[in-house]
Amino acid sequence: MHSAPFDGSFAGWREVARRLIQQGVPPHQITWLTDDDSGGLFDHVPAPNNAPAATPPLRIPRQLLELLQSAARFRVEDRWSLLYRILWRVAQGDRAAMLPGDIDGSQLHKRLKAIRREAHHLHAFLRFHPRPENAEGPQLVAWHEPAHDILASASGHFAERLGRTTWLIATPDDGVYWDGQRLHYQRPCPSEWQRLAQAPEDTGEALWLAYYGSTFNPARLNRSALETSMPVRFWKNLPEGPLIPQLMSQARAGAQRDGQAEAVSRQGGKRIRRTSAPQQAVSGSADPDLLR
Amino acid sequence: MQLIEKLTVLADAAKYDASCASSGAPNRSSKGKSGIGSTNGMGICHSFTPDGRCVALLKILLTNFCLYDCQYCVNRRSSDVPRARFTPEEVVTLTLDFYKRNCISGLFLSSGIIRSADYTMEQLVRVAKLLREEHEFRGYIHLKTIPDADPLLIAEAGRYADRLSVNIELPTESSLIRLAPEKQVRTIKQAMHSIHQGESEARAELRAPRFAPAGQSTQMIIGADATDDSTILHTAASLYGNYRLRRVYYSAFSPIPQSPNTVPFEAPPLLREHRLYQADFLLRGYGFEVGELLSGPGNLALDIDPKLAWALNNREHFPVDLNRAEPAMIARVPGIGVLSAKRLVALRRQKRIRFEDLTRLRCALEKAKPFIVTQDYRPLQASRESLLLRQQLSETPAQMALW
Repeated sequence: MHSAPFDGSFAGWREVARRLIQQGVPPHQITWLTDDDSGGLFDHVPAPNNAPAATPPLRIPRQLLELLQSAARFRVEDRWSLLYRILWRVAQGDRAAMLPGDIDGSQLHKRLKAIRREAHHLHAFLRFHPRPENAEGPQLVAWHEPAHDILASASGHFAERLGRTTWLIATPDDGVYWDGQRLHYQRPCPSEWQRLAQAPEDTGEALWLAYYGSTFNPARLNRSALETSMPVRFWKNLPEGPLIPQLMSQARAGAQRDGQAEAVSRQGGKRIRRTSAPQQAVSGSADPDLLR
Repeated sequence: MQLIEKLTVLADAAKYDASCASSGAPNRSSKGKSGIGSTNGMGICHSFTPDGRCVALLKILLTNFCLYDCQYCVNRRSSDVPRARFTPEEVVTLTLDFYKRNCISGLFLSSGIIRSADYTMEQLVRVAKLLREEHEFRGYIHLKTIPDADPLLIAEAGRYADRLSVNIELPTESSLIRLAPEKQVRTIKQAMHSIHQGESEARAELRAPRFAPAGQSTQMIIGADATDDSTILHTAASLYGNYRLRRVYYSAFSPIPQSPNTVPFEAPPLLREHRLYQADFLLRGYGFEVGELLSGPGNLALDIDPKLAWALNNREHFPVDLNRAEPAMIARVPGIGVLSAKRLVALRRQKRIRFEDLTRLRCALEKAKPFIVTQDYRPLQASRESLLLRQQLSETPAQMALW
């Protein structure tokens, strides 16, 4: 058995993996050890000393490296052995290992899909809170709990979106701060950042909540569609999260008959009197718009 | 009236428009620039409401005062709803605030018809212009186009908006005459034509000013009249053909408060809307013709999806050998989508396709099984009658609605 210790990063893994492939160490003989793991009882330190200088350089399609790098962001016990097995098979000429229909490839693509989805979740469900105008530090802060290590690679999106506005995103593991010009990534996340992001002094959420309640159509209640598209684990960090159960029970309690929001049906209505024939009204001087 | 009260009324008034797409815009970025907003072609759904619909844009009306009396519409002039009107500045404030909070990717602005079609259109354009020019907003903007508005106003709207839309509302002219007396098919189509022309001109010249780069869409209300799915799909297909629409949205008629007697009191089954979307998808993405999905007048089946229905009616094309068939034919197999078809074609360059490969590609095997042949599998049901297969494959009947 070979223990392969490395620093836990993709670059570190790549170096070690390259050496092991050149030495011809097959996947089932390797235990990957990152800095946080302690070694197994019977591990022995690998012997990189006899690396044969004559081995031909490793030829791997560039696209595979990109796929592996992306899949390495997937959090799973033992995330590295699948990557090595695929690298091994492709190095042996078995390119099917990269394809979604393959036994290993399907695992790889499942992880890639989860990573893409989780990056998309970051872009979609993260919520920034504006900070008071005179406060020092970032203008916007957000707390997010991603299921995979996607913050570093996916947070550049917000720099494109928010221009020179400064912002900070903190997660339980890492954090990123945009100072208007550059991204600063930190792992582990500084506790000061976590404090800022978790306790925003934001009082301006009422408008968004009013919109959310009003744009919902209670006559079309569809809980399962909601939960597939917006997984429940995100609700607790969304300002609209606490509203969801409330709106659902209101809809069930009778509002399913028509689509109007309860907040609107409570108010008195106003019919518009037609002052002239319709043709003239369209082009003419009828002025219902004066009523504000 | 407070801003929050206006928002409550005008979001409620706008929700019957199904579209919330924020996709199709060109790459725009604010990195290192003043102003905010970016688009990259992919839409983002920032939230979902308990009806399962996505919230990608701030979807509101500028005002729900309206001179028209369209029977299916909650904002018709004879409707007894609270009325409100935003100022353009208020819409701008809301858009920018929600955008910074990452609650939305842009604005979808529509309006009741006030004073005149031109005046209303001018107001909509003004909001878009304020956002783009004064606030350097680069997010997504979708503007509703008022059918009778001056083509020059439509051209101006196209310069600021990513998407324009004119609602066809009802699938036939006779329904429109009966239910929306102030609207005319002719002017609706004229507006679609103006937008289509704007798009073509912008495409033809490299340096031409941009024009609604995410194209135009429309919406049809389903179940407010007696029109069948065949007519609806033929109308949709002709709109796709004539005006290069990106999307036709189907919105199941949602009963409205104080509904007039001219429209039904009951909503059509939501499943009907779903089947129409599936059929629409087959028209746009799979090369199906309307005539293949529905050979005569009538509705799509509710118990099975339209692709399965087609396969059951055309058993002579099946079973399909996945190791030999054309990619387009593989995509016509029920339970196998365009993406899986592509993946199968890539995989069969490396090896012979076996049944377990389909499991890994996560095809809907129960549906696909009777229609495919692989290296190690032939369907037992290949000879089974379509009627029996249909019973076996139809989705379990839904419980009757309580209301």
